[in-house]
Amino acid sequence: MGAGWLFLFAVLYSAGLLFGMVFFVIMFSDLESDYINPIDLCNKLNQFVLPEYGAHAFLSILFLLFGQWTAFLWNVPLLAYNGNKVFKKNHMYDATEIFRTLGGHQKETYFKLAFYLLSFFYYLYRMIVALVAENP
Amino acid sequence: MATPAQQLPQGWEAEWDANNQRYLFIETATGRTQWEPPVDQGIQPQYSENAPGAAEQPVHHGKRRQYAAGQTQAYYGGGESSLDPGYLAGTAAQPGGAQLFTPGLVGENQFASQQTQAAPAPGQAPQYYAPTEPEYINAPGFQQQPAYGQPVDNLANQFGQMGLAGQKQFQLYTTNLLTSPPDPRDLHIPPPEIRLPPNASVSPSPTANADPSYQRSTLNAIPTTSSLLGKAKIPLALILTPYRSLKEGDEPVPVITDTVIARCRRCRTYINPYVQFIDGGNRWRCCMCNMTNEVPQLFDWDQVRNQPGDRWARAELNHSVVEFVAPTEYMVRPPQPAVYIFLIDVSNAAVSTGMVATATRTIKENLDRIPDEDGRTKVAIICFDVSLYFFSLPQGTTEPTMLVVSDIDDVFLPKPNDLLVNLAESRESVENLLDKIGNMFQDNHIIGSALGPALQAGFKLMSPIGGKIMVLSSSLPSAGAGALKNREDPKILGTSKESGLLQAAVPFYKTFAIECSRAQVSVDMFLFSASYQDVATLACLPHYTSGQTYYYPAFNAVRSEDAIKFAHEFGEVLAMPIMLEAVMRVRASRGLRMSSFHGNFFVRSTDLLAMPAVPQDQSYAIEIQIEETISTPFVVFQTAVLHTTCYGERRIRVVTQALPTTSSLSEVFASADQVAIATFFANKAVERSLTHKLEDSRDFIHKTLIDILIAYKTSMTSGGAGASGQLAISDNMKMLPVLVLGLLKNVGIRQSTQIPPDLRAYAQALLTSMPSQLLIPYLYPTFYALHNMPPEAGTIGEHGVVLPPPLPLTSERLERHGLYLIEDGQTMFLWVGRDAVEALVRDVFDLPGYETLRGGKTTLRVLDNPFSERINAIIQKIREMRRGPYYPHLYIVKEDGEPPLRLWALSALIQDRADVLPSYQQFLSTLREKVNGAGGGGY
Repeated sequence: MGAGWLFLFAVLYSAGLLFGMVFFVIMFSDLESDYINPIDLCNKLNQFVLPEYGAHAFLSILFLLFGQWTAFLWNVPLLAYNGNKVFKKNHMYDATEIFRTLGGHQKETYFKLAFYLLSFFYYLYRMIVALVAENP
Repeated sequence: MATPAQQLPQGWEAEWDANNQRYLFIETATGRTQWEPPVDQGIQPQYSENAPGAAEQPVHHGKRRQYAAGQTQAYYGGGESSLDPGYLAGTAAQPGGAQLFTPGLVGENQFASQQTQAAPAPGQAPQYYAPTEPEYINAPGFQQQPAYGQPVDNLANQFGQMGLAGQKQFQLYTTNLLTSPPDPRDLHIPPPEIRLPPNASVSPSPTANADPSYQRSTLNAIPTTSSLLGKAKIPLALILTPYRSLKEGDEPVPVITDTVIARCRRCRTYINPYVQFIDGGNRWRCCMCNMTNEVPQLFDWDQVRNQPGDRWARAELNHSVVEFVAPTEYMVRPPQPAVYIFLIDVSNAAVSTGMVATATRTIKENLDRIPDEDGRTKVAIICFDVSLYFFSLPQGTTEPTMLVVSDIDDVFLPKPNDLLVNLAESRESVENLLDKIGNMFQDNHIIGSALGPALQAGFKLMSPIGGKIMVLSSSLPSAGAGALKNREDPKILGTSKESGLLQAAVPFYKTFAIECSRAQVSVDMFLFSASYQDVATLACLPHYTSGQTYYYPAFNAVRSEDAIKFAHEFGEVLAMPIMLEAVMRVRASRGLRMSSFHGNFFVRSTDLLAMPAVPQDQSYAIEIQIEETISTPFVVFQTAVLHTTCYGERRIRVVTQALPTTSSLSEVFASADQVAIATFFANKAVERSLTHKLEDSRDFIHKTLIDILIAYKTSMTSGGAGASGQLAISDNMKMLPVLVLGLLKNVGIRQSTQIPPDLRAYAQALLTSMPSQLLIPYLYPTFYALHNMPPEAGTIGEHGVVLPPPLPLTSERLERHGLYLIEDGQTMFLWVGRDAVEALVRDVFDLPGYETLRGGKTTLRVLDNPFSERINAIIQKIREMRRGPYYPHLYIVKEDGEPPLRLWALSALIQDRADVLPSYQQFLSTLREKVNGAGGGGY
């Protein structure tokens, strides 16, 4: 019973993260085409950086608690990456450096976007599998 | 005396080179330059002006005093006897060198004239850049050199001389670095000429293209494709100094007052000499995007006389550097007044070193020089230790009231008004206050500094207007926001962790800088601490607010030299007419994109640089990408700085530079500007040392140089037999390796376990902000021999004091009885050899002998003898000749004096080996190994 609900939750959750990343991508392209200045951009995005990391970490821990090992292992690399950034204190966007590092930020955001998209479908699949298994 | 110009053969011009104190001779038809006077066939060279004529010569001999050291050497005047034949023989053939008509010199003159004969005959097509290095003619190995790598060039020359060459091409001359030692004078050769196609400019004016001191490109011929640029491996970048100061004799920037500003509708380019007028002059075609625009109606109207004017006389069509007076569309608000807020550290460290006293006195003395033409300038003074001290200067009384705020966690202004006062109206109270500050705090024993809160207070006070905050601080910020810890750790110096010390320790100074940039506040830092002060972190603030950091390590006003240096530089900064509320944008022809920016500013959008207050003579570097194939014969770069002058006028300064394009790799090499490349490397090296590590930045520069050499070798030389014994580079880049070596040995970049992080951070701040004129000597110091300088050196010539000829930077040049001057624009060393004769020591220092002489910082008094006067004149000239506020310290260095000082002075001789750092020869041989190893093919 638990697995079905867990993955349903995970599907909605990763959809949320997916939209978050789309927002990041849009903001970066806004910056590139000069619709927003770097100070506002960084102030805006920096509010969402830690919540996003936190949300991802929360989901990973849920998988761990429910003993969903494959799903947990799938999330470990990103968890470690985020953790490392926070540990090194360079997770925040720096308005003075943003134009130099923009390419890197964009790559990272696209990568995360793809990651959440794949996660979304994987969780969806696992949810269906779980639901089918529960109601044969 | 006649000037050389009057005695030149037809088709030649003489131009005085202020940096080098000698004439540069230019063949007008070809743009060829050379140091030695050109010779017409059959006419003996005549030297004049600098070289005293034969008639005067005996007089000099009569006055000359001989200081025999050993046997025959004289310490000045009698230059011939101690000139090194290998290096200076060539110089002797130049104005300034030839005093005596000795048989040897006759031979050389003839040789030189043979070298130049071929060129100036009218009608012949040009040899660009023909032999410009006569000194190498006598160097061993030169004779063989012409045979090497130049058959094609020779052939081209022959064709050229037969008149078949058609349009002028950049002629590429290959130099073998291994056989041609660097000559300091080559650094002052102007960059390769910009050869625009005919009729590129609507104006025949020589000022239609920007002077290199305003804007210069690393390549004076832009490759048409990025793959061509990639082949040459030379970085493409612009070096800008849009707000260059005007020295005496510089032409002022023309101002266009009628507010008719013609700009392209699409790309917003300002009209410039490179646009095309079409439709009978009713429209103009933009030189960047080819858009057709209407010519404004008032463009041909002379508003001053109210009558039709002459379009072709308009300054923006004749000058590359112009200033438009901007109409209200260019203003967000009415022009602001200039505001200066002084934040003065009055903690015990600051008071006891005399910093406070010197600073207040300097401010008081310079109140008249602070720009205040319109009487609107405002000033405020805030002192701080661990509390903040505000001074209220109400109208009607000259007695200042001090208001103490000790709550530094939540800074507030104790009074809404009277803290920031109008300078002209409250002049007396300000002076009175400045007199008193010294006494008020003279017994202050409080240790610690609340710099962060003081900055916040200053910011609060001025944020509605914007302006300049000048911070004078003697200690590490320790209280309130922005407090810093001492993170200096000698163990990590020289390791890969060192670059961490060069990055900001806390985010406060960066975020505060962003706030400042928004509110149009700029910060200048004057730092004085004897111990660690975290210059790296504090320098962030000037860096992002277009200010400047000044660092006086272990400042003590008891030493008058320290006080003079600081007072001079601080005074210059105060007197500087700054540009307020400025934004800068560089536009370029289609296909080119500004990709990254280096310098003191905040990048506000992809190509807009925000600069709250632009100081004079600050340099910026911009990397350029070629995004698409360029099809036009020339491209245009235009820098526009929208600013408010410090007397309240909104203006736009526009600097336009047109450069030809080329699809030939050899032209790319032949048009490279080594000075601009070195300036760009300095910026790039500092950036990399912050984002990566110091080793990475050194490796990066080293590797880029090797790539250039490999690219040159594989594409420009035949690479046949004997190639591995060569290290080839084009003649116009032959100083690049030594400049790169200088950069790798610079305090900011050098590999060492001894350099305190504060000194490194300061050196890096200088490397990224100094214009080429100051940066090049900082990388490659100037080295003069004073004991045997030619008789005219140190005397007043036609263009001020004549400097002696510079020597290459190697200690081989140091003679034991000699007196030398080494200067890098920031420091000067007067090197006294251990066998210096008594007479010399007496004449220069007024001391009985070498033993009594003491090394260290000093002021050289002018004594009543010609030698002392000349030396002082030279020192004075060096302090004044460059742009920028810097006033170098003078150190006396004894050959057997204290090791640290001696080693410091010797570290300026960058062609020598020092510890792990290679000598120039070693550097070249590693380069050669790398280049030949990678070149493959046969060897």
